[in-house]
Amino acid sequence: MSGAGRRFSRWPSGLLAAAGFGALLVFAAFAPEFLPDPDPSRAWQGPGEMPPFGADDRGRSLWVYATQGASILAWPALLAGFVVALLAVFGGVVRATGAARLDGWVQGMGEVVGALPRMVVVLVVALIVPADSRSLYPLAVTWALLAAPGAMDEAAAVAERLGGSRFVEALRAHGYSAARIFLLHIVGYNLRPVVVRQAAEVSMQVVFLELALSYLALAGDRPSLTHADSVMSWAGLLSQGYTWLVIDMESGHALALGLGLIALVTGASLAVSHAARAR
Amino acid sequence: MALRNALRSAGVTALALAGTGATLSYHEVSLPTTLNPLFAATMSDYRSQELVFDRLWFHDAVTNELKTRIVEKWELAEGGKAIKVTLKSGLKWHDGKSMSAKDLCFTVRAMLDKGTPSPIAEGYRGVLEGCEVQGGNSALIRFTRVFHNPRERLGFAILPEGAFQSTAITPDLDFSAHPVGSGPFKGSRGRRGVVFDAFANVHHQPGIAQLQLSEGNDPLIQVKTIINNGVQGIIAVPPTLRPDVSASDEVALKSYDLRSWWFIAVNTNKGFLADKRVRQALNLMLDRSKLRELAIGVKPGEQNSPCEFISGPFVQSSAYYNRAIPVVERSDRARSDKLLTDAGLAKQGGSWTWKGQSINLKIGMLAPLNTEAPDLLSLIGNQLGEGGFKRVENKISEDEWNRQILTGQAGDYDLLVGKWSFGLVEDVNDQFHSRGGKNGKVNIFNYANPSVDTVLQEYDRARTDTAAQDAYHRLHATLADDLPYLFLWKLDTKSAWRTGVRNNIIAPYHYFTEIDGWRYDK
Amino acid sequence: MTRWWIRPLVRLVAALLLPVAVPAILTLLIWALPGDPASIICPPETCGGSAGLAERWHLDDGPMGFFRHWAAGALHGDFGRSWRMLQGVEVGELLAEAVPTTLVLLALAGVPVGLGVVGAVTGRLPAKADPLFHVLGLMPSIVLGLAAAALVQLEFGAGAFDGSARWARLVGGALVLAFSDGALAGAVTGTRGLFSAEARQRYVGIAVLRGETVLSNTLPNVAPALVGQLRARVLHLLSGAVIVEALLEINGLGDLLWGGTIWQDFGVVLAAATAFAVLSAALLVVQAVAEVLVALHVRRAPAVGAE
Repeated sequence: MSGAGRRFSRWPSGLLAAAGFGALLVFAAFAPEFLPDPDPSRAWQGPGEMPPFGADDRGRSLWVYATQGASILAWPALLAGFVVALLAVFGGVVRATGAARLDGWVQGMGEVVGALPRMVVVLVVALIVPADSRSLYPLAVTWALLAAPGAMDEAAAVAERLGGSRFVEALRAHGYSAARIFLLHIVGYNLRPVVVRQAAEVSMQVVFLELALSYLALAGDRPSLTHADSVMSWAGLLSQGYTWLVIDMESGHALALGLGLIALVTGASLAVSHAARAR
Repeated sequence: MALRNALRSAGVTALALAGTGATLSYHEVSLPTTLNPLFAATMSDYRSQELVFDRLWFHDAVTNELKTRIVEKWELAEGGKAIKVTLKSGLKWHDGKSMSAKDLCFTVRAMLDKGTPSPIAEGYRGVLEGCEVQGGNSALIRFTRVFHNPRERLGFAILPEGAFQSTAITPDLDFSAHPVGSGPFKGSRGRRGVVFDAFANVHHQPGIAQLQLSEGNDPLIQVKTIINNGVQGIIAVPPTLRPDVSASDEVALKSYDLRSWWFIAVNTNKGFLADKRVRQALNLMLDRSKLRELAIGVKPGEQNSPCEFISGPFVQSSAYYNRAIPVVERSDRARSDKLLTDAGLAKQGGSWTWKGQSINLKIGMLAPLNTEAPDLLSLIGNQLGEGGFKRVENKISEDEWNRQILTGQAGDYDLLVGKWSFGLVEDVNDQFHSRGGKNGKVNIFNYANPSVDTVLQEYDRARTDTAAQDAYHRLHATLADDLPYLFLWKLDTKSAWRTGVRNNIIAPYHYFTEIDGWRYDK
Repeated sequence: MTRWWIRPLVRLVAALLLPVAVPAILTLLIWALPGDPASIICPPETCGGSAGLAERWHLDDGPMGFFRHWAAGALHGDFGRSWRMLQGVEVGELLAEAVPTTLVLLALAGVPVGLGVVGAVTGRLPAKADPLFHVLGLMPSIVLGLAAAALVQLEFGAGAFDGSARWARLVGGALVLAFSDGALAGAVTGTRGLFSAEARQRYVGIAVLRGETVLSNTLPNVAPALVGQLRARVLHLLSGAVIVEALLEINGLGDLLWGGTIWQDFGVVLAAATAFAVLSAALLVVQAVAEVLVALHVRRAPAVGAE
């Protein structure tokens, strides 16, 4: 397949990724600021009776869960991906420049950071944030920083396979500027697939992190760790769906919506990685 | 007497050994944080400790009269400032040692010891002065002053002197997980639950061989589990799930009087909320009937409702409740708006402002209350929102509630939704007296009103029940007008027990006071 | 070429530092939590004795003072007692149960992952199966964990923690860890990618022409990267164990970490985190040793007969 052909074949992935993330942002934009009053007479109504997604155990529309949940995690997840991408690029560039001492320090710090129990660090950050400022942003950035060593390592390995500093010297000999060498040849052509894939994975992990923390907070009757208590997370859908699994409550549609939203996020993430893969 | 007790003890042991061997498992709201009565922090702690320890005096669950299992005789001394207590003989600790007056005085000294960092002990430091062992298994307990209800001031659990190195008792001792008590059961805390094994004694003859406590998690699943006989009891069934339990023939709902009432505390020190008219306006902005309907599931006009509105800091069945003060069931938006306007607030763009600044109410609620009253926080927020207030809603963890809210450091909140539960003594002085010294210890927003302080001091000085009731009736009237709290309701707690569990009398507040009489037929 | 020892040396130094650095860093972090355990149990505004309790628990010494006291005790195997999570219970007792439980959980999770790696290396697992693993790996641990918890609850009841219920929780948790969040998929595709990239090297082709096997030539060269990948997988599993153990109520290190942090039970958090760090350090040492051995093997001059 020709280069143009390969580029074209990445378009569907690119479109899918854009559609997925776009849907997320649109949901977020439509999220109501507060939970509406419940209507117990409409508890567990299906999508047919309460379009588009049906109702929860309190008769509230699941549309509220979908939109408010998206508003909680959309932008923080993207931010986390961006942070990881930046750090991965840094790791790759350091290895490409052959700065051995800096590389050693980066690696050493990466080992220590990588060994920290991530969930505990994230949980501590969540508990430190004052109730007024509770959001997913600090946790997303924390998660990104903790996940960065792995991304930096992988990017560094890619840079090393290029030949490290000898690759840079060779391109210099061709007369390319430093900016072109690092930005285009190293980052653009070679690091791009791994950086984008890592960014997409971390974004996805942040979404799953939010689900896990919110679920455990709900289950433990605790204040939310990732958002204001006046909004609902997608974890609420999983919590409703759990009762369908265990005691056959009529909440299967909530579980289906929850899984569907998770599939939306993972699909968009996969599509981004596929669109950015190497030529 | 000693021989009779010994024979009784032997007989009881034989009975216990020959007993049904029945094990009852039940779900609690949460696992107890500790089995040491000095550090009880949650209701689950109090209920669990009731199984393991004896209190000097307790209220009979049926007649409410003051009773004791361990006191042989008592008499007031020193003009009412002391009480001489003689313990029964033959009482045993779970480690087999005998209980004596020394243990009673040890417990008092431990509570008075400043090296015992216990909020419960701190409460007794304002009541007790000391204890002296006298002959014949007697002890003389001295009070800080004369009380009109001295025995009710001695509702603490007795601890064994032999289990501690000193009177400075800290929470991290092994005793907290493996206590030695004199109660009907011996308790042992594990990671996922607590096991209570029956311990026959002169004064306890438990009919159940073992109790197993586990954490309940999702209430819906708890209800299904009890219906399927996965467990035999649930301590607290949320109101919205009670119909499911009632529908089952094999499970019965039983009342559990927690003597608790719900409230919204108002920050009377903060800007516009310092004006009584604003508080009255907020009071009129709430539609309690709708709140009750949507959060608790009680429809207007429903008979035998588990949720009774209140207009002051007592439950309606209390002798201290002033029935002359009406409750506010429905909202009155017109009156509310007039009051706000009179207080100097103005509406701009549909939202209230004060001195040109937009008002953003910060509302908090103790998080675990959401299980009993789902969505209450958001319902209150929505009603205030409809009334024209912008708001921020936060749930507050128990730790933060105990550490910040109850200690008067909640200054950045405007409104706090909470619940008070009372044990033996319905004393609200600590909630409403201005904070300072030994007063106002749990005065949430540091409310200070000299006329309220005066009434509370009258209650403290009261020598008769009538005088105490009069003082509290006046307090009720004053608070209903001044509104440092918007009083919501008293909500009955209901437990669910399988019908095979018989004679299961549930004592108010402490729950398992009458556990000796419980029986279980599988 | 002369710098080949830097990477393994960094790993060894990190391995030595981890069991100290991790609890020290966590001490600083948990010190930032609002309030402290002593003032939660006995708020100074309403309860006398708070200062004494803080002194007993070395909370009045600052974070590093606290950490020094804790570390001094830990070196002698004394991790103190739980302050709040399981008040009064010895932390050592909790660790004695939690460490083997988490190791069993990881070992069980390692079975499908290990089989996947071996299958990828030997070619028994065809590359066509990779998309299936990928799809399975997209499931977040929270979803699979809830499904596993539901199955356990249905089969054994919510309050069953002994005997077969315990094993059901462990096996369920292990399967969740292995299959969710891309653990197995990453192990299979990562290993396959490593070996296939190495197999494309010219020296391998020449070796094959000489009658040698691909595996015997590629394995020494990919061994460090492979060990590194496996170490990353184990760390990934360890990290996921916190959520899985909390969901499935498994009495492991992850559950101790979670509960200890929520309850601000500093002794429990630090002890569990140190155990985590020790496991991580052990893996780092294994990786460093593998790198050294391979480097020595590669640099060993082959025996050549004199002509």
